[in-house]
Amino acid sequence: MATGSQHASPKWGSTEMLPLPARYNAAVRRLAAERAERLAAEGVAWKDAVFGRELELFDVADARAIERDALDSGYRFDFSATVSLESEPDKYKRPEKAAHTFTDGDTSNGRRQVGVGDNVIRKSATVIGPVALISTVDQVMDYLTDGIPEGTIGVIDDSGGTLTAPIIEELAGVICLGGSVRSHLGILAREYDVPTLMNCRIDTLNEGDIVELEVTAAPPSAEAYDIGDTGHARIWVHEKGA
Amino acid sequence: MDLTYPRLLDTNNYLRQLSDTTYWLCITRTVQESKLFPMNPYMLLSYLNSFYRLPTLLREIDAATPAEELGDRAREVSLKVDTVNAAWGMPAFYLIGREMLMNWGLLRAGDAVEDVVDVLDFSRRFNLSYHRNDGHLTNKEFGERSQFLPERTLQVFESDLHGVVPGDRLHTASTKLVAQLSQYAFLAHCECRIGLHNSGPYNFGNGRQLLVRDFFDLAEGDYPWLDGIATALPHNNLTIPIVFKDTNFHLVDDWASFEAEPGYDAANIVAVGMYTSDALTDGYVPVGMDNAEKLAETMEQYREILNQATSDLWKRIASWSREQMIDAGALVYSSVAKDFAHLAGTYRQDDWLLIDERAQRFKPLLNDEYGRDGLAEMVGLLGFPHQKANEYTMARYSGLNQNMLTGIPYSVLADTDFAPTCGDRLTGSTSLPAKNGLWTTSAGRLELDDYNARAAGFTPAVLEGRNRYLDEEWVKWNHATPDADALYRLTQRGSRNLEGRGAGLLRADLPSSRPSDAAESGAPAGGPG
Repeated sequence: MATGSQHASPKWGSTEMLPLPARYNAAVRRLAAERAERLAAEGVAWKDAVFGRELELFDVADARAIERDALDSGYRFDFSATVSLESEPDKYKRPEKAAHTFTDGDTSNGRRQVGVGDNVIRKSATVIGPVALISTVDQVMDYLTDGIPEGTIGVIDDSGGTLTAPIIEELAGVICLGGSVRSHLGILAREYDVPTLMNCRIDTLNEGDIVELEVTAAPPSAEAYDIGDTGHARIWVHEKGA
Repeated sequence: MDLTYPRLLDTNNYLRQLSDTTYWLCITRTVQESKLFPMNPYMLLSYLNSFYRLPTLLREIDAATPAEELGDRAREVSLKVDTVNAAWGMPAFYLIGREMLMNWGLLRAGDAVEDVVDVLDFSRRFNLSYHRNDGHLTNKEFGERSQFLPERTLQVFESDLHGVVPGDRLHTASTKLVAQLSQYAFLAHCECRIGLHNSGPYNFGNGRQLLVRDFFDLAEGDYPWLDGIATALPHNNLTIPIVFKDTNFHLVDDWASFEAEPGYDAANIVAVGMYTSDALTDGYVPVGMDNAEKLAETMEQYREILNQATSDLWKRIASWSREQMIDAGALVYSSVAKDFAHLAGTYRQDDWLLIDERAQRFKPLLNDEYGRDGLAEMVGLLGFPHQKANEYTMARYSGLNQNMLTGIPYSVLADTDFAPTCGDRLTGSTSLPAKNGLWTTSAGRLELDDYNARAAGFTPAVLEGRNRYLDEEWVKWNHATPDADALYRLTQRGSRNLEGRGAGLLRADLPSSRPSDAAESGAPAGGPG
């Protein structure tokens, strides 16, 4: 049986839904099919090609060409880790200032609601403190060197547990702009007993704003994320002079 | 290999269970993300690395120590070949790598059939043996529960754990140490959760449940980035059994995560202990368990060490390049079975801590967005064209005509144009610095050859000869015999309260159940009963 004899497209198949996997995977499939046909024309059976001549089916130069093709077309990738953006800035979109995801809430008693989130641990009283916006390795390094002012509430746009690993215990509270109470940061907040709201939607907060976290709210139920029943803990900013 | 129809039927059945369970885990657990580590790119790389290397490595291990014997070992103590690493991760990561290559047209469903059958056969034998005491294949099959420990071990825990109340020194020390261990384990494992493990729950009576919490690879050992880190910590692994009151752990899943009702609350902790175990320990070894004060002091000391280690390691990792972060994370994932080699005494650093050259070629594809969306497409949306099944199909959890993992076509029994194995040529490389440190073990800090030689010649006494087959069904009928007493006394060695007590005890007979004995042993009121 020759190398390319199997149908390339599976019955019942569709295409990937997300743009970059659709683009990349189709490109790899196309190359692999062409190479398999070429080897078949040379009389190489698939069983001898698949591992015995695998670099002839796809090699690192092919991978680089697929990436180059995307970049040349103007495509720029979303980044997730700051190291990606810093080491290959030409490949990634610059981070845009987050759009407001929470419209202004009620103002009363000198405080204005600026957001909601999911409470990790139910406490007996709210937590109040100045915010520090933490999103880079350099900031964490500075805090490690200089210490964190007492009472600081960290606004963290990463639900992972490692970026803020060395400083999380020193925070009086956390506003996490992603994840869920099951995220690694949520797990660590629970273990450290740090008052924390996950999955927060907030209006703009500035460094040093005094915020209040409603960590007296009930944590989400087991099925909350399945049914969308989230965002019950409120976040207020205290108006200056109040 | 004798590739038969029954064998393929078994393989495809197990593969489909893994497929369903993994889909359920992926859609019900949290999205994994990190600003520090490019997690999704390294996960994709790890799956490819597993595909190319795992079959060869498992065959060597299986020949030295069969998978079912490794399951026996894992059933007796806490080892890193556990629920999340070995029982679920090892076969799942391998099969997900297969899906990636199949989707790219670089592999057909019949290719590597001998590898798939061997990996899943190894995995199945390990899991059946590991779960021998609860009689299930996976936590999912058991209803999100994991009860692999025997009565004789649980009786030692119940008798020796120290009672605590919120605010006392040991309660505070233990909750702070668990927090520190969790954080450090996430960091040492490049943000993934596989350094942490939870098993149970076990019924401790009077509305109490035991959750066994484990933390692995804490000191110098396999990961080169831990060279010189936490060198003051004398143990590579720590186990902290915790007894809770008024808390029902209704879920302990195949990622070794738990959920409780009401939620996990340290205020409900009523007893704790600390142990270590590894490939060289004959059962759990108590750590600081002499009395509550000593345990608190030990926990406080370890917390200090790990707090410094977290800071030291974080600074080291923060200086890494993107490729180093990706290599490290990929190696953490693709080496989830490495402790099988430690148990068999066949561990080689280059077997487990290199990225295979055949996987390296895909690195230019693995930007952050492709990593994120490619993973979502593969394990969440199940959007790869070949993941679709016929239009009448309704999958177990989604009800849709799609499956995460692809079965082996039975046509391999009749056709010939497939490659049965990806081969045993293992070449690889890494961007990370070479390992130069020692291996932290219960026998001290060892050179690798010494560690392997000791492991290869070691069998725990409870698994020697006939003991291996003396299970709980046998105990049920033979508890009054000298053989049963001898078996229980092996596990009771080193126990503060149960040394030499034998097989006849029930909960009411345990020293900690009787106030006078509890007072003598120093167990505070409110301790385990």
